[in-house]
Amino acid sequence: MRTDPDLAADAARGSEAAFAELVRRHQARVRGMARRLTGSASAGDDIAQMTFLTAWQKIGTYAGGTFSAWICTICWREFLQVRRKTRPEIEFDETAEIIPFDKIGDRSASQTENRMDLSRALDRLTEAQRVCVVMCVAAGLSHREAAEATGWPLGTVKSHVLRGVEALRKHLANAQVA
Amino acid sequence: MREEETFEDLASLFAAEDRALEAKPFIDEVMGKVRRRSMVRKTLLLAAGGAGAVVAALQVPSLLGDWITVDNTIVTAISTAQQQAGILASTNPLWLGIAALVALSLAAVTTMERT
Repeated sequence: MRTDPDLAADAARGSEAAFAELVRRHQARVRGMARRLTGSASAGDDIAQMTFLTAWQKIGTYAGGTFSAWICTICWREFLQVRRKTRPEIEFDETAEIIPFDKIGDRSASQTENRMDLSRALDRLTEAQRVCVVMCVAAGLSHREAAEATGWPLGTVKSHVLRGVEALRKHLANAQVA
Repeated sequence: MREEETFEDLASLFAAEDRALEAKPFIDEVMGKVRRRSMVRKTLLLAAGGAGAVVAALQVPSLLGDWITVDNTIVTAISTAQQQAGILASTNPLWLGIAALVALSLAAVTTMERT
């Protein structure tokens, strides 16, 4: 089986087939990440699409490392761009501990969409915890990769992941009891 | 190698959700957009290239006319220089020697110089 860097090199030479294979391999991870960041299936898929279109344009800049970290970094930036356009008044605060995550778009509309099983538990995390859990646990990035993608200090990312996972487990356990 | 904990239990829950997403429509949509963008880019490049070629082709006649003038000027300058060198050499052969020395020095420097 061809590796991601091989496919990326072919895609950089203009091979649409190689890029399609990369999309096939990573679409679930990127869509899952975008859906969990936005809290909406349609907004998440829009961001995932933009992510892959940006990746196609910039595939020549991929310089090794794990492809999943590279594509998730693009996804994170696309998410921030959409967030700035839709909610310019909110500055992202990675140290926030009590600010609940505010979904992009219409909450009532998003409720009609197919929500993922863990979304309710994720909703109850702080925004920074949610971002770190989504990146490091759901998307499988290392703490260092997540820190590089977000620009947050490594210690901050580690702390948010640990606290986020702890809170997530607690919420899931409570939900099962209820 | 990852040193931190990967929280396998939660990661597998997330992974199961991700696997449940239908891939084909998404991939088709993304690749459709990629192909459309490539087509638009190729069309723009071809249009710009074609327009440039037409403009360049329109300039060829005047360029050739200018070249003929330049060509005549160069030929005239060379023949004049030859005549003047001949006159100079006939009046004082020392100039011929100096010119030969300069030419030899230049040739030596050029040969020794690394490219």
